[in-house]
This record gives sequence, C-alpha cells and structure tokens, in this order.
Amino acid sequence: MHNQYNTITKMKTETLSTEPLPAGEEANVTRWNEYRGRYLDWCIVGFCIMGAAIVGITVLAIANITMTELADPAHLLKVAASSEVIGSILLTFGAGASAVLLLILFGTPLAYVLARARPSRLKGAVESIVDIPLILPHTVAGLLVYLLFMRRGWLGAPLSEIGLAFEDALPGTIVAMLFVASPFYVNSMREGFEKVPVHLENVARTLGAGTFTAFWTVTLPLSLRHMYSGAILAWGRAIGEFAGVIMIAYYPFIVSTLIYYSFTTDGIHTSRSIAFTVILVSFGVFYLLRRMTRYLGRYDDRV
Amino acid sequence: MIEFDRVSLTLGSFRLNDVSLRIGKGDYYFIVGPSGAGKTVLLEAIAGLHRPESGRVLLRGEEITALPPEMRKVALVYQDYSLFPNMRVIENVSYGLRVQGMRKKEARAEVAPLLERFGIAHLADRYPGTLSGGEQQRVALARAVAVKPDILLLDEPLSALDPITQEKFIADLKRLHREDGLTVVQVSHSRREAHLLATRMAVIIDGALVDEGEAGVVLNAPRSREVASFVGIENILDGTVTANEDGLATVDVGGLVFEAVTDAAAGEEVTLCIRADDVVLAVGNDRRTSARNRMSGTVVSVAENGPVAEVRVDAGVMLTAVLTRRSVQELGLVPGTPLTLSVKATAIHVIHSFS
Repeated sequence: MHNQYNTITKMKTETLSTEPLPAGEEANVTRWNEYRGRYLDWCIVGFCIMGAAIVGITVLAIANITMTELADPAHLLKVAASSEVIGSILLTFGAGASAVLLLILFGTPLAYVLARARPSRLKGAVESIVDIPLILPHTVAGLLVYLLFMRRGWLGAPLSEIGLAFEDALPGTIVAMLFVASPFYVNSMREGFEKVPVHLENVARTLGAGTFTAFWTVTLPLSLRHMYSGAILAWGRAIGEFAGVIMIAYYPFIVSTLIYYSFTTDGIHTSRSIAFTVILVSFGVFYLLRRMTRYLGRYDDRV
Repeated sequence: MIEFDRVSLTLGSFRLNDVSLRIGKGDYYFIVGPSGAGKTVLLEAIAGLHRPESGRVLLRGEEITALPPEMRKVALVYQDYSLFPNMRVIENVSYGLRVQGMRKKEARAEVAPLLERFGIAHLADRYPGTLSGGEQQRVALARAVAVKPDILLLDEPLSALDPITQEKFIADLKRLHREDGLTVVQVSHSRREAHLLATRMAVIIDGALVDEGEAGVVLNAPRSREVASFVGIENILDGTVTANEDGLATVDVGGLVFEAVTDAAAGEEVTLCIRADDVVLAVGNDRRTSARNRMSGTVVSVAENGPVAEVRVDAGVMLTAVLTRRSVQELGLVPGTPLTLSVKATAIHVIHSFS
C-alpha cells in the first residue's frame, strides 16, 4: 500500500521535472503531499483571532439589543409606530439627503479642481481645510457652525434678514450635517476624478469638446461610482451626527437627539426601542443603496 | 502648416527647450527620440494641451499659441488608445461630431462608412473594454479621423501591437496619408517605422531638437554623433582628417586609414558613420573590389536575426556588417575566419565635430 502511494507520487513529480529526485527527498515529497489541505498558517490564524475581537464587539452589541428588543415585541412596535419616531427618522434622512444634494452641487466642482490641480502650496492648504471637520471634536464643529449661523453670526445675521433662520430650525440641522459630512464626499469624489486618466479628457478636447463638455461627457460618467459611494458615506455621516447638530438645532428632533432625549427623560426602555428601530431602518436603506451600486458605472477598468 | 518658433515649456521636472520645427501640409512627420525625451509633450503642445512659456505656435501662418485644443482641428491618438470606456464603439467614433453639435442620427450615419473602412463595423455596439489591442487601435484612429482633422497626431501607435497587427496598421496609416492626403505627425522610437512611413522627421533628445529634415537624410546622414547612434548607424568611428584632395579626404581612425567624401580640411576632427549593410565582406585576401577602403580583419561574432545576420569584425577597430543568413553560410563565417572588408568612399557619411 505504502509502496503504491510512493510510486504515484514519483510519477507526478516526474511530469514536473525531468531530473530524478535524490533518494532522500522522495520521502519529503510524500510528506508534503500528505499534509496538503491540512496545513494551518498560524500567522493568519492569529490575525483572525485578533480581528474577531473588533467584529465581535459589533456583533455582540447588535445581538444584545436584538435579543432584548425581540423579548418585548409589543413595546417595540408601539415605539416604532409612534408618529414622533417615524417623523424624526424621516426628518433625519431628509435633512441628510438635503445636505448630500448640496454637497454634490458644490463639492463636485471642488473635488474636480483638487483632482486636476498641480501640487502647490495653495492646493495643500485647501485640502487641509477640506479635512478640518474630520479632525475636530464634533462639539467643536457644532460650535463653529452655531457661531457662524446663529442669529447674530456672520452668515446667520444677513440670512435671517431674508427670513432664513438656522437656530432650532431645519436649515440649521442641514448646515451642521453638511459641515461634518463634507470631507467624506469631497475626498471620495476627488479620488474618483483622479482615477480618470487625463488622456481621456485630452482626447475629448482635441475632438472638439470644451472643458465643461469633456467633464460632463467623459470625466463625470466615469466617476459616478465614486460620487455614489461618497454620497452614501456622507449621508451616513450626516444622519449619525449628534453633537454637531444639537449646538445649533436642538429642535426639530433628529433621531440622535430624540434617543438622547428619551434616554435622559423616559429612561432606557424607550430609547432602546427607538435605537433598534433606527438600526433596522438604516441597515435596510444602506443595503438597498449598496445593491444599487452594482448597476452603476461598471466600466472596464483596463481602459 | 504648423510651425513651432522657439517654443519652450516646463512640465514638472521636464523641460522642452527652444524647439523650432515646421510641419508642412501632407507631410508624414516623425518625431523620434529615446524614452523620456519629451516626444509626447511636444505632441500635446501641438494639440494645444500645454501652453508654451515662450515662443510661438503658428498654424497656416496665423499665431495660435493661445488657441485651446478644441479649436485647432488637430486630433490626437494616444499610445494607450484612450477610448472612452463608458461609451460603445459607435459612440466613441461619433463623439467628436456629437460634441460639435451634430445630431445623434446624423453623426452615426456619418461615421458608418468609417467603421466599414477600418473593419470595426461589427464591433459598433461593443464597449472598448471587450476589444483586443488592434481593434481598440482602429477604433481610436477612426474616432480621430471622424472629425476630419487638419493634422492627425499619433503617439507611438504601433508599440502595443503584435507584429502581424502592426503590419496591417502600417498599411492603414499609409493609406490614410496617401489617399486622404492627411498630414500626420507620429511619435515613435522605432527606426523601422520611420523607414516605412516618414517623409520628414525630427530627432529630439532631452527636450531639445537635435536634428530635423527629410527622413532619408536624417536616417542616413545624421547631423551629430548623438543622432547617428540614435538612428542606429552601426559603425560610428571618431578620427582626424590627415589630408583632403578635391573633397576626397583621408581620415585616420586609430591607425586605420579611411577615405571618405567630405569637405573637412586636414587636421579636423570628424566622426565617420558607416551603415552595416555598406560594409562588404569577402573571405581571405580578396583584391577584386573597387572600393576605396579595403582592410583585413577576423570575425569576432556572428549573430543571426531572422533572415539577416550581424557579423562583428575586428579590423583594428570593431566594425559591424550585415549579410543575409544565406551568404553567412556560403562564406562559412565563424568566429576567427580571416576576411577582407571593403567600404566605398561614398558610403561613409562624415560628421564634422564642432567643439
């Protein structure tokens, strides 16, 4: 039996190399074949165990809330169906979407200019400014927005003259969301534009397209995926904002404020149910959005 | 047609230095040079994609230095084809007409014959990512020709194609130039392509234009040693003129004496360029040749390259000759074979060394 196995191994080896194996190595080849498929890379195993700690926290946290909530479905339904919660979720998503629309309108040109500008001090400075909301504590970001847009603020004062109030109003919510979400959108969009070869624009230009036509017909369509994922990221960031928003607009309640409010007044029972509802809705929406990416801008990357 | 008048421009660490050239209507103009010499930048400058820092660009005598690319009627085809990956072949080819305001239907009807001509009609509804290199190249060319440009700019159009596709494509380019009377400017580092296609050419090295003129002249009678080695002249020898009688000079190359036709005076330092196919080999001590320059040597190496063979001979200096593979066999050339070399005095191109 053992002999037969050995012969087979030897035959396999001979197809790979014309040189006969030294007698001593024959055994090695056999052993290697025996271990095939059972071999464990302890480095990767270790990495997996460590990585599992991170994933584990999220999974545990969600499992925890799910178990407790599903134990009392009647209460969950009552909270989830309340007009206060539904209204707040819609408001949050809507405000986030408005912030993202504004970002698409104003952030896209900015991202394009940053992507195409040659390296310079000015470019570096602008890039740093774009990133500022990322590094600030959210309360600081909120305070900045508040000071600028409050009734007596530099921008808040003239805008309130024409009837646009930000303090404790929806525009305040949107502006705060826009501020904290902007780096996510601009950076993603810029990456997308950077990936579109300048050669494509050059060719479009020589064929008779002006700068804007080349941008609109070539560069932008080829960056749609980045625009989309940037918008989703920014939207996720916007609807999750709390500290930044409450500084300028405690009312109307976005979900974060609502959860915090009910946590401090009604206690954990209600706030937990709202939180669980938000988890479900967010997951659903993001899953749908991610799925839609598949049908968007799938061009061959070789070109 | 288009003229560069002392154009300089800097792009990052690269600099195009004081380039003057003139491309005439109907020329097949080659811009050759080693990698990184600035050929593509020069091409993009012709297209108007880079604004020169100094100097002027003229089109039909009119200054167009500041004219944006979309107004120049100069179509560009890049080495990587740069097809728009978000558009089908038909949309790619009709792109130029569409952005110039033609309706979709008309534009498509207009380019239909072009697709036929380039043999890509069956690919009309495909996306570029699914095409082979040769197909992409033809689409790129059709797209450029569709806008009826005054000048067609080609950036190493053959370098990414396999040899068989290359041959077909060279035939396509020849046809475009001859039958359509298109002015073509092609960047290349291949001497073979230059031989096959170019009517005029410029050699650019390190951002500077070092030679310009009719293709045959640049290839066979280069202006400097640098150009000679770039255009692939196999034998480049430095020597000193010892005498000159009515244009027939005697040149001393490290003890070996060559006779060449030149106006270089005695005492002048010169460089001799001898094409390998002008070096004639005969076995043994053969006196039958009428050539002015005759010397004996021994074979050092024989390297076969397809139907031809390159023979390196030590005759005091190293000389390279090219023979057919068949004559190498008939002469029985192997390393060590003693032989006689001869070169006609008129086959030697003499470059004056300016110092």
